[in-house]
Amino acid sequence: MSETLLERITTFAAESNTKAVPLRKGETLVEVDQANIKAFISHLLNDLALRHLATITGLDLGQNLGITYHFIQGQETIHVRTSVPKTNPAALSIVDLIPGAILYEMEIHDMFGVTFTGNPWIDQKLLLPDDWPADLPPPLLKTSKPAEIRKRLGLETAQK
Amino acid sequence: MNAEQNKPTRREETAGLIEYSTENLVPFGPIHPALKEPEYFKLILEGERIVEVIPRIGYVHRGLEKAAEMRPWVQNMYMFERTCGICSFVHSLCYGQAVEGLTMFQVPRRAKYIRLIIAELERIHSHLLWVGLMGHWAGFETLFMWKWSDREIVLDLVEAISGNRVHKSMNAFCGVRRDMPEGMEDRIVERMKHITDRAHYYRQIIDTEETMLVRTENVGNKVDQETAQKLCAVGPMARYVGLRQDVRLTDPYAAYDEVPFDIVTRNEGDVRALLRLRLDEIVVSANMISYAVEHLPEGPIRVKIPPVIPAGEHSSHCEAPRGEIFYYVRSGGGRIPERVKSRQPTLANIPIALELLKGQTLADVPVVLTAIDPCFGCMDRMSFLDTDTNRQWTWSGEQLRLYGIKHYFPERFKE
Amino acid sequence: MFEQITKWARKRSPWVFHINASSCNGCDIELVASLTPRYDIERFGAVLVPSPRHADVLVVTGTVNAQTKDLLKRVYEQIPEPKLVIALGACAASGGVFKGCYNAGQGIQDVIPVNMFIPGCPPRPEAIMYGILKLLGEVK
Repeated sequence: MSETLLERITTFAAESNTKAVPLRKGETLVEVDQANIKAFISHLLNDLALRHLATITGLDLGQNLGITYHFIQGQETIHVRTSVPKTNPAALSIVDLIPGAILYEMEIHDMFGVTFTGNPWIDQKLLLPDDWPADLPPPLLKTSKPAEIRKRLGLETAQK
Repeated sequence: MNAEQNKPTRREETAGLIEYSTENLVPFGPIHPALKEPEYFKLILEGERIVEVIPRIGYVHRGLEKAAEMRPWVQNMYMFERTCGICSFVHSLCYGQAVEGLTMFQVPRRAKYIRLIIAELERIHSHLLWVGLMGHWAGFETLFMWKWSDREIVLDLVEAISGNRVHKSMNAFCGVRRDMPEGMEDRIVERMKHITDRAHYYRQIIDTEETMLVRTENVGNKVDQETAQKLCAVGPMARYVGLRQDVRLTDPYAAYDEVPFDIVTRNEGDVRALLRLRLDEIVVSANMISYAVEHLPEGPIRVKIPPVIPAGEHSSHCEAPRGEIFYYVRSGGGRIPERVKSRQPTLANIPIALELLKGQTLADVPVVLTAIDPCFGCMDRMSFLDTDTNRQWTWSGEQLRLYGIKHYFPERFKE
Repeated sequence: MFEQITKWARKRSPWVFHINASSCNGCDIELVASLTPRYDIERFGAVLVPSPRHADVLVVTGTVNAQTKDLLKRVYEQIPEPKLVIALGACAASGGVFKGCYNAGQGIQDVIPVNMFIPGCPPRPEAIMYGILKLLGEVK
C-alpha cells in the first residue's frame, strides 16, 4: 500500500505538533517553528526522500517575515513555512543540508532583510547593488516604495 | 585542459574553501575580500586554474516582483514574459498556471495543445541558439551561423502563429490569445522534419569535428547525481548526469499528459554530453510538435475569467528550455496580487555551474559557463584574480572568448 | 564636427560595440540575429567589436539599473570620438514595460546622449539594420 507523500507529511506533522494545511490541487502547507525547521527539513530529505527544493520564498506577513521552502516530488508540492519577527529577522540557514539553497537565502536577505546564520555568503548582495544605502529598507517589504528607492539609487528620470 | 585534482591545502589557504564531501559539509567558502567591482562573475585563479567562482548576477535585476504587487493580474503576465527574451512564453505559462490554480476554471483542451506547441517551438529555438553560441564560444563560428539560420525557420513558424518572434504574448488566463492559423499543419510538419534532419547532422558534427571535440570532450568538472541534487540543479544540468528530472514527465502540464515523448538523459558528465543532450531534445520536441498539430482537438481556445482572483496561494512549475521554472502566487482576493515569486532556471543552475568550473583552466571557462545555458548577458563582464601573481583584471565576454580560442588554436592567430 | 563624422563614415564601416544594460536579452538576440546569414548586417560593413576602444557606434539594450548605470557611463567615455549611440528597444528608450520598477531607469538618455532610438519589444532584425543604416545615412 502506498501512502501519498502528502498523507505522510500530514502524519508526521501531527506527530510533531506542527500544522499541515491542504491547499489546492496537490499542494500542502506546513508551518514549522524556527526551532524545529532544520529537523523537519532533515526528515523530509532523509526519511521521506524528498530530493527537490524548487526555491525559497520570502513573505511580508505584517508583524513577521515568512520563509517558505517549496519541495516538489512528482505531482505533489509541500510548502514548508517558518517565520521570524521583523524586530529580529534572524533565521537558520539550511545550506549544510542543501548546499544549493545558498543563493535562495541570499535573495531573501536582499529582498526582506532576513539573515541566515550559517550561510557563508550572507553578507554579500546577490541581486541588489553593492551600494544599496544602508538606511534604505529592503525592497519587498510592504512599506517600501519603488519611487523612493529609485530616487535613492539615482534612477529618477529627467524626462516627463 | 582536462579536470585534474587540485591540491586541497593550498586552495584552502588561499580562498578559505572547505572541501566538499557527502558528509554534508558546506561546499562554498567565505568570499575572497579582494574583488569589489560589479562584474557578473568573479573568478579566483591559481595560475591557470580556477579555484573559486563568485556569482554577481544582479546586473539584470529590475524589481519585477515588487512591480507585480502593484499591477493587475493580467498585466503581470506580459511583464513576466519579459523576464527573459529566450524563454518568454514559458514564463507567462507558468505564471498563468499558478494563477489559474487559484480559480475554479479549466483550460480548454485545444488551448493546452497550442500551449505545448509554442512551448516546444521555444525549446527548439532556445537549444538551437545555445548550440550556436557554443560554436561561437568554442571557436567554430560556422556552427553559430548555421544554427542561427535554422533558428529562423522556427521563428518564422512562431511568427506565423503568434505574430511575434520573441515575446509571443500567446498566453491568457485559462487559454491562449490566438488560434492556430488555417493550413499551418502541413507547413509545421514539413519544417519539423527539416529541423530533425539538421539536428541529426549537427549531432554528427559535434562527435567528429575537431574544434568541438577538443573544446568539449572531458571538459568540465564531473559531478555525480547526488551532488547535482544537493546543488538543486534543474533541467539539462540534472539530466546530463542521468537524473530523470523533467517537469513534463514528472508533473505534466498543458498537453504533456496526452502527447507521447521520451525524456533525454546522458551520463558522460562533460560538456559534450550537454551538447548531445540538447540536440537530442530538439528531435524530441520536433516530434511532439508534429504529433500535436496532427491531433489538435477542436474546441474553444480560451475561457474568460473575472479580473478578481480568489484568495489563496498556489504554485506552478514548468520545464523551460534551461530547466525548471517555478512561480508562486498569493492572492488576497483582489485585482492585484499580494505576492508573486518567480524563480528562473538559471538561478537554480548557478551552484552546479560553480562546481563545474572548479579546477578548470581559464581557457575552458567560456565553454563550461556557456554549457549551463546561462542568461545571454551573464558572460558580458568577468573579473579575475590570480592569487599566484596577485594580478587582477576585467574582461568582456568577447575578450575571454578570444583568449580561449587563442589558447587552443594558436595557429589561427599567426600573421 | 559634421565634416569629421562625414569623413569617418566614408572611410570605414560602422564598428559596433554592444552593451546589455539590464536587458531581458530579447533585443540582444535580435541584434545578434542581424549578423546571421538571413539578415547579414556585415554586408553593410557593420561588425561587432570586442572592446569599446575600437568602436564607432554604441548599441545599448535594456533600461539601466543601479548596477549598470556607471558601467554604461564608463563604456561611453571609453569610446573615442566621433561616436554615435543607439538606444535599441523600448526599454532603452523609456524603460519599456519595466517603467516604475524600483531598480529600472526610464531610458538610457538619462545617462548618456542618444543619437537614435529603435523602438520595438524587441525590434526585428530588419528594423535594427534600418535604424543603424539610417543613422549613418543621415550623417552622410
